[in-house]
Amino acid sequence: MDGYEQGRGAGGRPPGPRAGIAALSPPYQVAAALVLAVVALVTCVHLAMVFLHVAPPNTVSKQHGQAVDDWVYPEFEQNWKLFAPNPLQQNVAVEARAKFRTEDGGIRHTEWHGLSAQDGAAIDGNLVPSHTQQNQLRRAWDYYTSTHDTQNRPNGTRGELSEEYLRRIAVLRIGREEPARSTDDFLSVQVRSVTTNVQPPSWSGEKLDPKPVIRLLPWWNVTSQDMEVRDR
Amino acid sequence: MNRLDRPPTALPRGLGRITSAALGPYQTAVIRIGFSATWLLFLLRELPHRHELYGPQGPWSWELAHRLILDNQAFTALMWTDGRVWFECVYGLAIVSSVLLMLGWRTRTMSVLFMVTALSVLNRSVFVGDGGDNVIHLMAMYLVLTRCGQVWSLDARRAARRARARADGFPEPGHDADGFSEQGHDAGSYPEPGQERGSAAADPDRVGPVLWWILGLSLSLVTFLGHLGWGWALILWTIWSAQGLWWLLGRRAPDSQPRALCDVVGNLLHNAALFVIMVEACLIYATAGWYKIQGSRWQDGTAVYYPLHLDYFSPWPALSQLLSTHGTAIMLITYGTVIVQVAFPFTLFNRRVKNVLLAAMMIEHAVIAVLLGLPFFSLAMIAVDAVFLPTTFLRRIGKRAARARSALSTRTRGVPGQRGSTRTGPGQDEAYGTGAPQAVPSDAEPPPGDPPQVDVSPRS
Repeated sequence: MDGYEQGRGAGGRPPGPRAGIAALSPPYQVAAALVLAVVALVTCVHLAMVFLHVAPPNTVSKQHGQAVDDWVYPEFEQNWKLFAPNPLQQNVAVEARAKFRTEDGGIRHTEWHGLSAQDGAAIDGNLVPSHTQQNQLRRAWDYYTSTHDTQNRPNGTRGELSEEYLRRIAVLRIGREEPARSTDDFLSVQVRSVTTNVQPPSWSGEKLDPKPVIRLLPWWNVTSQDMEVRDR
Repeated sequence: MNRLDRPPTALPRGLGRITSAALGPYQTAVIRIGFSATWLLFLLRELPHRHELYGPQGPWSWELAHRLILDNQAFTALMWTDGRVWFECVYGLAIVSSVLLMLGWRTRTMSVLFMVTALSVLNRSVFVGDGGDNVIHLMAMYLVLTRCGQVWSLDARRAARRARARADGFPEPGHDADGFSEQGHDAGSYPEPGQERGSAAADPDRVGPVLWWILGLSLSLVTFLGHLGWGWALILWTIWSAQGLWWLLGRRAPDSQPRALCDVVGNLLHNAALFVIMVEACLIYATAGWYKIQGSRWQDGTAVYYPLHLDYFSPWPALSQLLSTHGTAIMLITYGTVIVQVAFPFTLFNRRVKNVLLAAMMIEHAVIAVLLGLPFFSLAMIAVDAVFLPTTFLRRIGKRAARARSALSTRTRGVPGQRGSTRTGPGQDEAYGTGAPQAVPSDAEPPPGDPPQVDVSPRS
């Protein structure tokens, strides 16, 4: 790191003999040495913990997993596996529809709204896509699938949170497209995903099943609390 | 950074270096500007969507976040109350603190406010973030420990002015040299209100102490209301006390041993944090690279093709289509990406190779910004890369920016050219760069209200 040598300190002057730890009198030198030892120790421990956190599970991290987690969570959590080990090779389109009670007491079903398709359209030609377009629904769906089994049963609190989150996104997005009939009562929503393989490039000679796979979630009742997302 | 292979002087010399100076002043300044600018641009971009992403009644409601945070204990001021006004205040403070940190105004204090507000916003809704948010989250914490305002900051400019004023007051060379070595440290040094070290030379700094008292009162209130966990209370109160102590020592006993010890501690913290930032950057690339090696698509040379066909990462479908018809190009980019990411940490041992790879990675991130629609992630990563830029390069950019700025201000005011030429002299860089008082020509004073902040967007 030769470049740093030229940036010698703030004064741009090489540290003289009367600078740093050498300039201190013995008792203060001891104090400085103690601080140095603590700083060095904490630095090493921190880097080791972060390393074990990002490394694959191994002998050491299996033995000390709890210590690593205690150190790293919540503020030093990190994940740099974007597009690794393999990039995502499927387009996951999340869609939603709703059930309303109309003024005359009848029930009205909406069509499927392509929520991911709306995101995709908003991102097209956009130099600065918003997190609302690029991350919100995409990651909410990831969160849902990672906290539910294939029967759509939640695994604990986080599963329940993800369900509520997804439902509120659906209510918000559908509400934006059906604003005219505000007199209708929002009864329930249903969400599904339509997963399509990205076809491998033509030169690879591979072919994947082009048929989309649909995952249908149960109807969820919309609570009055959910409706607050629309009232802004 | 100390070289143990040069006994017997290597160890004392290394100790001297890491205790007597906050190393890499230009590198820390450029990442300070990079991260705060990235976060500022992000906050402004999401200004219309702030309620939907982080507001109390957004899809990830205050109540949902509350239930999650009970479990994971993350820090966020946005959970202190679910009020709309409080939310607006925190978001506003996040914007203000990132502007001021970018400009280097009261850098120490602003870096703490930057961390508090950035963590508040990011931890409030963890499920809308991506890699870019993750980088900002980590670096906001590390920046607090660095003396990142030594150069290219309003603090450095103020420090240089005070030093000059003091030099005018005390013409003896002895005083001059003393002020020289101290002043630079003052600029971005650990605790803040002590900007006014020395007493007689300049009028006393009032803003620093006022800021310190306001923050102390706010911190007392927050602690009293029981919003802070003991860990965060300890951290924030320690920082606040350290600032007060530094100010007191600078005023009462500027040449004392306790003050010199504080300076050593500040340097140690800075150098350790800078080292952690650099290792963190290496970990990012190493993780990204080594995990890719294990993926079949990165092995068969088609990996880059796939993101270009994902609806969420293809803002320019026509461009993506065009690129993905060239199999060989895709394969070269795929392999090149993995090679660069895996190799980068090792190239730090060779300056020339490191710089070539650095340029390659910055270009790649700039391309990703546009092609995959990830501008803020890419900006944050370019800021991370910038910590490895060579000092000579950064100084050259700084000089060029200062020249461009003074040329601009000369033109806008219609002042004849010769004045601009004085200002572009070599002293200009020194004035903002190192806080060296004797290098400043007397008329190189920048106009008041015109920040010396040079926007160094690290473009290879």
